[in-house]
Amino acid sequence: MDIRAQVSMVFHLDKCIGCHTCSVACKNIWTDREGVEYQWWNNVETKPGTGYPTLWENQDEYKGGWEAEDGRLQLKLQSKIGTLGNIFYNRRLPTVNDYYEPWTYDYEHLFNAPEGDDQPTARPISLITGEFMEIESGPNWDDDLGGSPVYASNDPNVGSLTDEERAQLNEIERVMFFYLPRICNHCINPGCVAACPAGAAYKRGEDGIVLVNQDKCRAWRMCISGCPYKKVYYNWSTGKSEKCVLCFPRLESGQAPACFHSCVGRIRYLGVLLYDADRIEEVASSPESELVEAQRGIIQDPFDPEVIAAAKANGVTDGMLQAAKHSPVYKFVKEWKLALPLHPEFRTVPMLYYVPPMLPVLAKMKDGKYDVADAEAEGLKPQLTSLENARAPLAYMANLFSAGNEEIVTEVYRKLIAVRVYKRAEKVGDISQEEAQEALALGNMTAEEAEAIFRLTALPSFEERFVVPPLAREVAIEQIESPYDRKREGGFGSRTAPGRRW
Amino acid sequence: MQAQQVVFRRAGSGLGLLLALFTFLVVFWLAILTPVAAQSADEGEAVFSEKCAACHTFGGGDLVGPDLEGVSDRRDPAWLSRWIAEPDAMLAEGDPVAVDMLAEFNNVPMPNLSLSDTEVASLVAYLGTRSSAAPAAVPVQVAEQSTVGSSEPDAATGKALFEGSNRFQNGGPPCLACHSIAGIGALGGGALGPDLTGSFGKFGEDGMASILATTPFETMTPIFDDQPLTDEEQAHLSLFLSRAAVSKRTAASVGQLALLGLVGAVFLLMVMQFLWRRRLREVRRPMVARSRARIERARQAQEEQRKATPGTESR
Repeated sequence: MDIRAQVSMVFHLDKCIGCHTCSVACKNIWTDREGVEYQWWNNVETKPGTGYPTLWENQDEYKGGWEAEDGRLQLKLQSKIGTLGNIFYNRRLPTVNDYYEPWTYDYEHLFNAPEGDDQPTARPISLITGEFMEIESGPNWDDDLGGSPVYASNDPNVGSLTDEERAQLNEIERVMFFYLPRICNHCINPGCVAACPAGAAYKRGEDGIVLVNQDKCRAWRMCISGCPYKKVYYNWSTGKSEKCVLCFPRLESGQAPACFHSCVGRIRYLGVLLYDADRIEEVASSPESELVEAQRGIIQDPFDPEVIAAAKANGVTDGMLQAAKHSPVYKFVKEWKLALPLHPEFRTVPMLYYVPPMLPVLAKMKDGKYDVADAEAEGLKPQLTSLENARAPLAYMANLFSAGNEEIVTEVYRKLIAVRVYKRAEKVGDISQEEAQEALALGNMTAEEAEAIFRLTALPSFEERFVVPPLAREVAIEQIESPYDRKREGGFGSRTAPGRRW
Repeated sequence: MQAQQVVFRRAGSGLGLLLALFTFLVVFWLAILTPVAAQSADEGEAVFSEKCAACHTFGGGDLVGPDLEGVSDRRDPAWLSRWIAEPDAMLAEGDPVAVDMLAEFNNVPMPNLSLSDTEVASLVAYLGTRSSAAPAAVPVQVAEQSTVGSSEPDAATGKALFEGSNRFQNGGPPCLACHSIAGIGALGGGALGPDLTGSFGKFGEDGMASILATTPFETMTPIFDDQPLTDEEQAHLSLFLSRAAVSKRTAASVGQLALLGLVGAVFLLMVMQFLWRRRLREVRRPMVARSRARIERARQAQEEQRKATPGTESR
């Protein structure tokens, strides 16, 4: 057993209101510099939609992530020899048009325009060329199903749906969407690290944060193709790749990352998971339908004495272990099995988990009237059938969160519905206790568990949502350099500008 | 701590051994040094014939460098010693005599031959004996060498040797590896050494012959000392170099080079186009174009259907 600690995350999609506060918080802190204008380390996508960069989930085009052939893991992009052969030309890079050309507006014209018959306007100016441009696309171009005949219909997750399910997605009064906030998944088996020929991308030992060393990066840009989530970006000004750093300077001082901290819907949870690094290859190469179960299996119980001993032998600190015991992520992912990885079929074993959205109770046209389905039925019925009649086809959710395995998504929804029914029976009282018990049985859970899920979903305190472990960076760097020298010479951190600029 | 001490003790014993070896070497060196000092002039003669005779004669006239007849009368011995030891440094300092000589001898600087102090001393002693004594028969190896040979010198063979299609007998690398010259095709030769097109005109026949025989340049010495050119090879090369001196780089050969470059570039581009034919070109724009075309087709089909079924037009 090779137990390591991982700072990991849960996003509760039912609570996301799509306000983009997280994106803006991140942008203001990290990507307001020259060369990174187009980068959104945190972005919020509307699903169904093609996302940012366009069609990032389509690995036939981008060749990100891993594939397992006869149980052997291999980067989709290229072999090691392929890396050498293509080192001067990466064939699988998204163009700036697939992200979007960043722009500002000619605001000065509003003040300086000569007097005329018309109001002056501020024309868009490219932040890359500095010239006037036509805006064709943006980081959230298909927001709230905008342009959905083009964008939503090209969603790669819609591809495997039956015609009936697809019609259901587009039917008027039934059309649905939800938001999918995305940051770097800080994967256990990261494709970007594996693809980097320079050894610049690495996974930090003590907390599993995936970073790109700006001194070592040689701009081969293989990481950008290697990451199936397209969460590594190229800074055209410094000639280095950059990515979400999970706000490690904030974490090191005990604060939650900026996107977590600022989240209006309070959808985000952060905590430590312990995992068994010996099993990474086995987990990442398991058959598609078993990927989620395998990924749950690699996460270890922080209360198990054997696990604790192995973790300590590996240098995991007591503070980290303590945080792992209180981790909300552990509860959502392993204990309750509510949170699922995004696209586990990319086989990077992502450490950001999503609680799939329930969406509103089903409504549909009945005898020319807009009505809640089975509204006439008594009590529990509309609630219990809401899964089968859900607006979002289960197959779509399964494509997103369980590599197409509908059983896993169904189990999750049964639990979520059970919590709703149980709390409704308790608070509103229009559902009988027997029916509530029936719902709990369907969800395969106890009343205590339902109560705990409700507490952590609806009423968590700041400290319950973000269990930031003491990262003890001063201890971790002892392995590399003397902390006293670092404190004296480095001051409050140190910053060296990358040497190359153009 | 104990381990550290052990390391120190080991290092200490190693130091003692080194000291003993050093003492032994010093004694040995002193022992062999005494006879050298005595036979200084004889040693000097040997060094001269090995390292200097390529460019210098006694009473045989100027070659690449000046005739050394009476040189110790003309020059101060201290100046002479230093000039033999480090001519490059003196030139860099701008020593007036050295600078004048450089101008006089076609800007061919005297190379630093990395002689030891004893070698320099013996050379100076030898030069002294030659200046005061009556001029002896000049051992112009060079002249002898150029006439010795079983076959007539041949420029074509020289060219083959230059290009490496005929290997040098002693295994030296072909001239082409480091030098370029007119008349060997558009791609030319290496760029480490100078272009040899005008070299014959610069050094003259005798100078060239001595250079070929002794290769007295810093870069060439370590290569050709162990595997010198044979007399025959020298003759062939010398003839080839003399022919090259009169031929000139033609405009045609420049055009040839440009064409070769262009063809090569086009070929490489085609190879790349083939190797990377499945590269990712663009995703969003083609996707949008496809979808728009599909929507347009659907709209047209709907319109045609409406026209085909009368009575619905009023909608």
